[in-house]
Amino acid sequence: MLRIEGLKAAYGSSEALLGIDLKVDPGEVVCLIGRNGVGKTSTLRAIVQDLIGVTDGTVEFEGTSLVGMPPHKVNQMGVGYVPQDRRVFASLTVAENLRVPNPRKRDGANRWTVEKVYDLFPQLHEYRSRVAGVMSGGEQQMLSIARSLLTNPKLLLLDEPHEGLAPKVAEEVVDAIIDLKKEGVSMVISEQALHTIKKCADRVYVIDRGMTMWDGSVDEFYASPEVAEKYLMVQ
Amino acid sequence: MNSMKSDMKKKSEIDFRIVALGAAVALLVIFAGGAGMSLLATEILIMALFASSLNLLMSYGHMVSFGHAAYFGLGAYGFTLAIVRADIPVGLAVFAGPIVAMIGGLIFGALCVRLTEIYFAMLTLACGQITFTVLFQWYDFTGGDTGITDFMTPRFGLSEQYFAVFTLTIVILCLMFMWRVIHSPLGLAIRSVGQDRYRAEASGLNPRQLQLIAFTISAFLAGIAGTLFAVFHGNAFPDYAGLGFTLDSLIMVVLGGMKSFAGGIYGAIAYTLLKTYVPLVIQEWELVVGLILLFIVLATPFGLAGGIKRLQTMLGMGGKP
Repeated sequence: MLRIEGLKAAYGSSEALLGIDLKVDPGEVVCLIGRNGVGKTSTLRAIVQDLIGVTDGTVEFEGTSLVGMPPHKVNQMGVGYVPQDRRVFASLTVAENLRVPNPRKRDGANRWTVEKVYDLFPQLHEYRSRVAGVMSGGEQQMLSIARSLLTNPKLLLLDEPHEGLAPKVAEEVVDAIIDLKKEGVSMVISEQALHTIKKCADRVYVIDRGMTMWDGSVDEFYASPEVAEKYLMVQ
Repeated sequence: MNSMKSDMKKKSEIDFRIVALGAAVALLVIFAGGAGMSLLATEILIMALFASSLNLLMSYGHMVSFGHAAYFGLGAYGFTLAIVRADIPVGLAVFAGPIVAMIGGLIFGALCVRLTEIYFAMLTLACGQITFTVLFQWYDFTGGDTGITDFMTPRFGLSEQYFAVFTLTIVILCLMFMWRVIHSPLGLAIRSVGQDRYRAEASGLNPRQLQLIAFTISAFLAGIAGTLFAVFHGNAFPDYAGLGFTLDSLIMVVLGGMKSFAGGIYGAIAYTLLKTYVPLVIQEWELVVGLILLFIVLATPFGLAGGIKRLQTMLGMGGKP
């Protein structure tokens, strides 16, 4: 469903990605792992064409090239993006935040409704008339994911979904991701916590210095500790 | 789920009690105050509509326009030129003003929304100055700095009081329209783009398109205000599109309170009253108005609307929109 080959991308003249290869099949959850600053976020941004320029390579979603497409069009194609800093509409209420997305009817895709999203995140229903800016980080993260779901994405990109959250709250976010996986949502998750990967990923890509260095199934990843040692340990 | 729907409804529906209260106060001023007060009330009403149209951009779209008078001026000139140059009867020409302003807003807006923040503001300033200069220098067509006068009986020949009532009706209708727009799904989309265009984009909204829609609606409403102003005075001058009116509208919005629907209305009332009565007491009225503005901005950062809301909470009353 998503196919990236030889992707190079840069912020102005500073190159961030030097050769990313990535593939996501329908219903699959793929984790990008790597140290800080190796290009995980840039990879996700290059998919949604957000603030980064693709200089070489292909980014194809369901056979259509996304390169140079305006971000809102990428979203309308069925790619949802939840950035690292969450970014809820701080002065709108939770319910209003959830009415912002521009829903698309897609055949075969999961039809998300506000009710269904509230089932997934019961806290949001409880706080629906609260202003989003005063909620905790975890609640904002849930709202941000919920809002993305309402665009009925076929593929959801999550950038470090529980970064900066208390362990207990992070656990709830992970549970939600597992629930989403059961619903059949394909996801690309940029991740640093290895224990989460074990719980929800199908395949793993290890990124270092802007390049894909290793890829394989989760089992293969855990069977080869030298990979983690080489690319993830702080030297 | 039902409770959620009714929550939303309550917030987004027009509260006719407030509309009735506002109209009653205005009518009381108009009929108890006589001709002089009616003229003042008319001016306040027109300015309230003008400031509210800018408030739509600033508070909800987070777009600060430094050339908003252009659309006020285009409204006034669209109307007067339709009569003077195209021989359209007055009754039809009143529609020409807002339409010309809307078209102006559409063209200039399409340019301006390509940039954001201060660059956006600079472009609106440039567009405003272009409008002013054309009106000011194209003598053959617009009459240049002498403006256009004596083309109709001011106020359609209505008495001061009846024209004030007429203006009140139009302004209330326009403000109700604006309220509906802000609380429609379109309004929500405009607000979300204003708050965070990248997130809005990631939710599948097209920010430029939405900003352009907001800009055009705002220009249309400013055009209605401009047309009313031209009918009110029976003339049109290039100043109507100049920096003075732009500044007045900006001051009214900030004074009245950003992030509040009523901000433009409060601002228009306060600023017009200050502008009318302070000069009677002291010659250096601008100094006094400046000091009062300074005080209000420091004391209540969200203007009069914010101050009133704070007072209500302090007195334990429910806040009104």
